[in-house]
Amino acid sequence: MIIVIVILAVLLIIGIVIYNNLIGKKNQVDNAFSAIDVMLKKRFDLLPNLVETVKQYMQYEGDLLTKVVELRAKTASGQLSPEEKIEVDKQLTTTVRGMMVNVENYPDLKASQNFLNLQSTWTESEEQIAAARRAYNAAVTSYNDAIMMFPGNIFAGMLNYLPMAVLANTQEERKNISAKDLFNN
Amino acid sequence: MSIPQSMFDTSLQSTLNDLEAQRKVVYNLKVKSFSIIGGGILLIGIGAFLGTLILHFGIAGAVALLFGFISYSKADTSFNEYRHEFKQKVISTALKSIDQSLTFDYENGLREGEFIFSQLFKQKPDRYSSQDQVFGSAGKTRFSFSEVHAEYKTETRTKNGGRQEHWHTIFKGIVFYADFNKHFNGITVVRPKDFGSAIGAWFAEKIPLFSSSGDELVKLENPDFEKLFVTYSSDQVEARYILTPAMMERLCQLDSKSKYTISVSFIDNQMYIAFPLDKDYFEPPLYKSLLDQKSIGEDLDVIRFMYGIVQELDLNTRIWGKQ
Repeated sequence: MIIVIVILAVLLIIGIVIYNNLIGKKNQVDNAFSAIDVMLKKRFDLLPNLVETVKQYMQYEGDLLTKVVELRAKTASGQLSPEEKIEVDKQLTTTVRGMMVNVENYPDLKASQNFLNLQSTWTESEEQIAAARRAYNAAVTSYNDAIMMFPGNIFAGMLNYLPMAVLANTQEERKNISAKDLFNN
Repeated sequence: MSIPQSMFDTSLQSTLNDLEAQRKVVYNLKVKSFSIIGGGILLIGIGAFLGTLILHFGIAGAVALLFGFISYSKADTSFNEYRHEFKQKVISTALKSIDQSLTFDYENGLREGEFIFSQLFKQKPDRYSSQDQVFGSAGKTRFSFSEVHAEYKTETRTKNGGRQEHWHTIFKGIVFYADFNKHFNGITVVRPKDFGSAIGAWFAEKIPLFSSSGDELVKLENPDFEKLFVTYSSDQVEARYILTPAMMERLCQLDSKSKYTISVSFIDNQMYIAFPLDKDYFEPPLYKSLLDQKSIGEDLDVIRFMYGIVQELDLNTRIWGKQ
């Protein structure tokens, strides 16, 4: 009789641990996603400043600037879904990178301390977003492993947990960032 | 900026010639004192063997021993002078030949508090010594390295109720630290993946409740890196901000140049790296000629290697807001 109770108790404890583990992994994924969100917000907050600084010098790069202003308006609307935010960020990265390359043609801008600070903060935020995306992918992988493998898959079925997709790495994330490539200097 | 090798050679050569003469004096003194001590032991041995003349031989032997020990302590004093001269002149010149900014403090090393603070090793040391500290900068990055020997103690009870102390090495080798090129707030530690840490990491991943410290296991994407190291951090995102794919590759490369697996920690905007080593560096030879390039060559290789880390890990690229 005692043996049966012990076995039941052990099974119950194992069950609780597996259940909690699954919930923990799911929360980690949500948490990691909100980390991306925070980093994106940080990046979008830089935009007004960037636009103001660049506007003074880069009169002739109208197209790029207009694009950035448009994207900034989108981020400021506050109605973007997380996926849209990531998409806007992708476009921003390309556009701002194009702008940074053209800085070569504007010696005054290149010499501006304000701009230099913005430039390094921008790259910093880019690296942080890349890190947050990698953290998210690691959390998703760990969650997917947990819900697909035995015995986690039994609980996952009951909880209706489904596998999630990892974020695809962009070409930029895969290659090493170097000051030379970025700023052409 | 570095001095051409030929210039370094001529300035070093005359110093080495002077020191070589000093080395010979110390060497002769040591040999002399060992011979006298040996002679004394022999005399006592003969006395004991012959039996009849034990008093005569005993006294003669004891006098020889006393004389031998005095002479040995003299030799020791001159060896310390020689060692001092070697470190001050030869090692300092060697450092300047690599970069003018490098300075050498052979009496001091990494403070024990900082060694513990670096979190490179979990075990707290009970006995700690550190010396031969080198300071300098390579480009924009300030760095330092020193020889460290840290041990911990265990006690066992002997059969008759006494206690016996056992000393175990936590780490022996060189600890390098440098100003890291990115800002961060948390703690990230990269330790060699041995059997114990692999089991610890398995538990930390499967059952987070069993994680020993507040730091979480960080699973990274680089399989070579994951095979070599176990990473813990107080912040998953920050750990990846520091350990970018490029940085992981560079750390693997750096590790492949070290005989034993390195440990790395990132804390308080500094990066610490521990290189376990078998031998002491920056020590003068006594029984071999100083003019034999090999011994100093090894010291120079270590200095160049440490100096090269900044370049190798690309710590001078400062595009992330930290100047």
